[in-house]
Amino acid sequence: MPDRRCKHIFTMLSDYLNAELPVKNCRDLERHLKGCESCIAYLESLKNTVEACHRYQLRSNIPAPSKKVREALLLALR
Amino acid sequence: MNTQIEEALKTLQSGNRQDVERAIEALQGVVYGFGMKVCGSHEDAQDTAQETLIRLARQLREFPDARALAVWLYKVAKTQCMMSRRKSKFAPAQMLSLDALMPTDPALSPAGTRSWQVTPEETVLKEELRGRLEDAILALPKHYRLVLILRDMEQLDTREVAEVMGISEDTTKKRLHRARVFVRNALAGYVQDLREGESKSHA
Repeated sequence: MPDRRCKHIFTMLSDYLNAELPVKNCRDLERHLKGCESCIAYLESLKNTVEACHRYQLRSNIPAPSKKVREALLLALR
Repeated sequence: MNTQIEEALKTLQSGNRQDVERAIEALQGVVYGFGMKVCGSHEDAQDTAQETLIRLARQLREFPDARALAVWLYKVAKTQCMMSRRKSKFAPAQMLSLDALMPTDPALSPAGTRSWQVTPEETVLKEELRGRLEDAILALPKHYRLVLILRDMEQLDTREVAEVMGISEDTTKKRLHRARVFVRNALAGYVQDLREGESKSHA
């Protein structure tokens, strides 16, 4: 491990998580996952990474827009 | 699609003064937040927000829908971030090779990959994990970093990211996968450190 098949599966994992993998590749990948603990575990950790990015929030407070920005936008809307 | 942008555009078009002020703040939040994630510095993020929103004022009425506005905003903000790279922490431009990122035998073993999880009830990331995530993202070469932030943090779809970046959808997908694997591997190192720390404390 990893064998050639795992390496091929590895290249498709993000498309799979995004539900953007063509149906045939999706079937191949799911068939492989049924018998490969390593790829299942790697997929899970990649999914956790994406989940962490989704949940990420800024530590710092967001400053208010500057006076220049507010005035420019309000003028544009008149 | 970023729902804040959608709401902001509706409000701006409604013309209610009090709501408009809130919509401007919402857009400031979107662009400043993007600038912080990409540049890692408050000054660069503030410059990015200022320049982008002033440019927005010049062509505010030209957007047919929120999607067009979102793509435009991120495209301009991205350009601003690239221009401010002297001050920020941009990693040098380089290609990430998928072969080099491919896990080796021990890393691909179930023991090497079973690790950390963001549980559904954890709405906010733990402080340390967040810091590690920020470091990993800032260590990404810029073209990968931008794709990851746009897709996984700003939650644009692949087509929108491709439009913002001016690249094909296929290239977008390849860059996204490499960026995710890079960050995943960096976070796996953090989990490994935690485990070693735990076993030492139990020894």
